[in-house]
Amino acid sequence: MRVSVDLGLCEDHGQCAIAAPAVFRINDDGKLEYDAEPADSELENVEEAADVCPVQAILIAG
Amino acid sequence: MTVTASSAVPHLDVTDPTFSITSDEVKAAREQNWYATTPYGIAVLRYDELSRLMKHPKLRQGSVAWPAHHGVTTGPLAQWWQSWILNKEGEEHHRLRRLMNPAFSPKLIGGLVPRFQALGNELIDGFHRSDSCEFISEFADPYAARVIAIMLGIPEEEWPIISREAATIGLALSVTIRSELPRIEAALGHLYDYADDLIADRRAHPKDDFVTTLVNASRSEDGKLSDTELRDGIVLLIFGGYDTTRNQLGLAMQTFMNHPDQWELLAQRPELGRAAVEEVMRVNPTVRWVTREVLEPFTYQDLDFVPGTTVHMFSESAGTDPRVFGEPSFDITAERKPHYGFGGGAHHCLGHFVARSDMSEALPLLARRLRSPQPMPGATWLPDSGNTGPTRLPISFTPGT
Repeated sequence: MRVSVDLGLCEDHGQCAIAAPAVFRINDDGKLEYDAEPADSELENVEEAADVCPVQAILIAG
Repeated sequence: MTVTASSAVPHLDVTDPTFSITSDEVKAAREQNWYATTPYGIAVLRYDELSRLMKHPKLRQGSVAWPAHHGVTTGPLAQWWQSWILNKEGEEHHRLRRLMNPAFSPKLIGGLVPRFQALGNELIDGFHRSDSCEFISEFADPYAARVIAIMLGIPEEEWPIISREAATIGLALSVTIRSELPRIEAALGHLYDYADDLIADRRAHPKDDFVTTLVNASRSEDGKLSDTELRDGIVLLIFGGYDTTRNQLGLAMQTFMNHPDQWELLAQRPELGRAAVEEVMRVNPTVRWVTREVLEPFTYQDLDFVPGTTVHMFSESAGTDPRVFGEPSFDITAERKPHYGFGGGAHHCLGHFVARSDMSEALPLLARRLRSPQPMPGATWLPDSGNTGPTRLPISFTPGT
């Protein structure tokens, strides 16, 4: 699974970090960091993260 | 509270009953500095700083102590307030959010768009042949309440129950919380009964809808929502989604009456409905401001943030910040940075996909069918603080096709 985030849309709300904490986190500067190739076991959480992103900035492929 | 800043810091008395967040006083304060002191805590006035602080991990949502500040510490309202997702933080909050997210999914809401359109047209049909209406009681109020009814899968004719009970609970957010406590708690009780019936029904007869999704919500590490949490989720939809949407539609009409060229544009180009919602919420949000409370000390810009300090986020002030948005303007075709009318961070409005969808359908419909709306005498307004909007908005218009 490959995850990508449109950082031009991302507003760093961190809803993804709540939905899939193993894949997305907000760092100390308040900016998003994420694992672009998370384990397949995270698929359900990553799909949830993509669904809840207030600006729909998350894409899942593969 | 420690303030260590070198340039002049304005002071704003947010406790004055005549305080208005959209006043020239606030705009002048914004030009003096990025924040102002207030009788309790500080107010953030400019866009970049609000953007950062709104989502800052060392700030918690600020309203948890609101009832206690007014002497309400026991009883059903105090209990509901404590258990409400908005007033939770950390893992307790995140678990509730994860379990409630699917019921508010944009995927679930997309299928309801035709019903929102039908609802909007039905309501307009009711007054279309006159040349005037009271926009709140004849459109905004029933529209907002019936959208909730649609979401809950209850008969739309039951919308006055939602309207009455949710409006009463809204008193909990105003300074009348203590004096109106018995009424507020009675309304809460009615909504709980309503929610319990809905939950029991969907357990017995699952449907492809909001309540069933909530009832079935389950994640391996989070378990499921308890009966109390389910009730709170339903009351949250009702309380969080009705008042705000009704107000925001009223404010949208106010803004567009001041910008008739934009209303005409929206009538010609209904695909601008979504952009219209965003632009209205930028300059005229119903939630005028949200609060945070400092949890851990940190320094930002020239200011030391001390735990316990209240931080008022003035969303409308940030939304009209000339540093980002230039001179005051209202343009539904402009590319804009995002507004903060739905809050931000962990507590970003859970229902925003619903709100955006139903308002994006309503506004172009109204623009096409109510041409050249003009204010008539007799408008009444909530105070311009907290959640605001018109309670009565008589308008005249030319019926469109």
